[in-house]
Amino acid sequence: MKTKNRIIIFSVSAFFLMMSLWGIFWETPNYSQSERRALASFPNVNVENIVSGDFSKEFDNYTVERFPARDVWRQIKAYVKTKLFFQKDNNNIYTTGRHISQMEYPMNTPMMDYVIELFSGIKEKYLDDNKIYLAIIPDKNKYLAYRTGHLSMDYEKFSNYMAEHMEYAKYIEISDLLEADDYYYTDSHWRQEKIVDVAVRIADAMGANIFQTYSEHLLEADFYGVYAGQSALKCEPDTITYLLSETIQGAQVESAKAVYDMEKAKGTDPYEIFLSGNQTIVTLKNSQCENQKRLIIFRDSFGSSIAPLFIGGYSEIILVDLRYISSDKLSEFVDFENADVLFLYSTILLNNSRSMK
Amino acid sequence: MLFSSITFLYYFLPWVVVLYFLVPRKLKNLVLLGASLFFYAWGEPKIIFCMLTSILVGYMLSRLTEKYPQYKKLYLTLAVVFCLGILGYFKYANFFIHNFNRFVGTSIPLLKITLPIGISFYTFQILSYHIDVYRGKVSAQKNLIHLATYITMFPQLIAGPIVRYQDIEDQLELRSHNFQDISLGIRRFVLGLAKKVLLANVLGEVCAAFHSSNEKSVLFYWIYAVSFSLQIYFDFSGYSDMAIGLGKIFGFTFMENFDYPYISKSITEFWRRWHISLGSWFRDYVYIPLGGSKVGNIRMYLNLLIVWILTGLWHGAEWNFVIWGLYFAVLLVIEKKFMLKYLVNAKIMNHIYVMISIIISFVIFDATSMDQAFGYIREMFGRGTAPVISAEAVYYLKSYTVVLLTAIIGATPFPKKMAERIKYSSYMEPTVLLVLLVVVTSYLIDGSFNPFLYFRF
Repeated sequence: MKTKNRIIIFSVSAFFLMMSLWGIFWETPNYSQSERRALASFPNVNVENIVSGDFSKEFDNYTVERFPARDVWRQIKAYVKTKLFFQKDNNNIYTTGRHISQMEYPMNTPMMDYVIELFSGIKEKYLDDNKIYLAIIPDKNKYLAYRTGHLSMDYEKFSNYMAEHMEYAKYIEISDLLEADDYYYTDSHWRQEKIVDVAVRIADAMGANIFQTYSEHLLEADFYGVYAGQSALKCEPDTITYLLSETIQGAQVESAKAVYDMEKAKGTDPYEIFLSGNQTIVTLKNSQCENQKRLIIFRDSFGSSIAPLFIGGYSEIILVDLRYISSDKLSEFVDFENADVLFLYSTILLNNSRSMK
Repeated sequence: MLFSSITFLYYFLPWVVVLYFLVPRKLKNLVLLGASLFFYAWGEPKIIFCMLTSILVGYMLSRLTEKYPQYKKLYLTLAVVFCLGILGYFKYANFFIHNFNRFVGTSIPLLKITLPIGISFYTFQILSYHIDVYRGKVSAQKNLIHLATYITMFPQLIAGPIVRYQDIEDQLELRSHNFQDISLGIRRFVLGLAKKVLLANVLGEVCAAFHSSNEKSVLFYWIYAVSFSLQIYFDFSGYSDMAIGLGKIFGFTFMENFDYPYISKSITEFWRRWHISLGSWFRDYVYIPLGGSKVGNIRMYLNLLIVWILTGLWHGAEWNFVIWGLYFAVLLVIEKKFMLKYLVNAKIMNHIYVMISIIISFVIFDATSMDQAFGYIREMFGRGTAPVISAEAVYYLKSYTVVLLTAIIGATPFPKKMAERIKYSSYMEPTVLLVLLVVVTSYLIDGSFNPFLYFRF
């Protein structure tokens, strides 16, 4: 008994002290690669901050976020939760086969109403005689959750709700063309090489002929998508394939470096090779186009990989990301005259639309 | 500061313990007091003066009581008025104003008050200390640092147990530290931490999912109700374990606060096993002074009613807490009058009766309004509009089955009995404790803010 008591005291005390010293003296990065976000900084030390209690709150946050070996701890937790307690998800992320996915659930009607109102405002303000289209990209959870018993939104209900409240837009159904493997295993996005049929259907519905012959090119970089980091579990990397055609190669790009920005291949998110990732407004021009059709796409990041596939049918495509520009200021940057307008959004953003303005 | 935070575990506690054991005996209370004030000020830098004033007033009035016994009633009255005044102002003023406005139709603005953490706990400690001095059960503490150490001691400051001065009077001045107690304290602390982080917080996820669900079903109402009942038990008893464990490390023996309440055979027994320090406080300082059960039946029931309304109000200044207290008063009266003798021998049925009663009580406890509470209870018994089953309910049931089973088994003495029977090497237990600490740390780092449920009581 005596020995056991001493071992307990020595081992647990040593653990606490070592953890403490590790936490205090170990330099930790201020950015989490796996979560793709900046981590908390040491709070400002001043009387006002201390008296208000902000210092202690920020310090608590700092110690959690900047504790050494953050990703290892997160990994331990993920394994305990899913392998020991057999919980079906960890922070809403789950794995099935090679796929890692997030449970996008439940349908958030207030968020959808918010975005519906935002789109109506755009219609009222800028779109008089424009032809307007709507296509909704299902999150990949729709194609995975039913297999594993995870929760997913009723996509039909979701898209019907959006379509009914956007009567001014012609709704284009695309969900039947997609399946789980059309998305990256470790990421939320779709694979460009798998969505040519989706692009054709949308273009057909908009009266554009986008026929092109593509060649597939494999990006020489491992791609660990956003879910890989969030799951904290070990997984195999994805590969990114991009499509080239004569028209795509001849297209001019404004506000992004290139249609496929190879500098991004070695960055934190190789998916950003498509039109340089998240950009406020990107313009694609096709000087060889025989018609003068113009297309404005209100889009999220899914739009970056499909937009190049539309270029054969348009002389100009403008992509607008409402997360980075206020809809009130669009007239300063976008000419809506004689342009078709496509609202192309994933359910993920529509269901969490607060960042759109 | 929360016990279940990285700041407390790895930045505060190790160095306080090191400093505590490094300083000579006569400075140990000073170290504890300084650490406790820092601990308190970490969360409530501005309101620390409220606690310090209460301590100072408690100290002076008890000294005066002893010095001028002829005025001891006056000093007692002053102490009671002061303590309840402070508690009333910070905790109940807005409740009173709100209800006054509601019933009279006035529009008196609510006060902008921040409720000081742990005010109910330290106020009750000061109050019981003064009453005990008044009754001559204990001598007034002459050393302000000793008294302040007793009241502010961080292991029990913000969530109890409500430590009686008489229980640790001697330990404040002279206490021993030995490997046996320190080892027991470490064990208790780590187990309490694991209960809080690995069970209570995780069960809290089910409750949060239920609250935000648009697809509630009868099954989901029950999953929530059971989960919340288990969550609050592991949250509070885990915190009490941590407090008792820390007390042991510093050489104090605090009273037990929980004794497997969910194995009770009656509600009467349940309240002997649940939040024991609060129940015994109300018994000794309210129920018995009112006459207890040594009065006529009507007076005794009235006494019970008063005690349980106060118990409810102690938990929070909302009507659902009052109803929660009354609910128990009614059950206890019924048991006392008719049921107790049958319950003792009613195998299994008594447990079912207790658990259903308790689960319902915690639905009332957790509700944001009485409408919500009654609505939830109606739905639980299929008297509402919710379907029997929903995909969401099935998902959460499947996903949390192991956690729920672990919690249910963990709420009984079974794991303890098993652990006592197993013969293992000297390294087994330390290994288990270290593994638990690693897992708890991983949960804390991965998780976000997780407030303690009993924080504002």
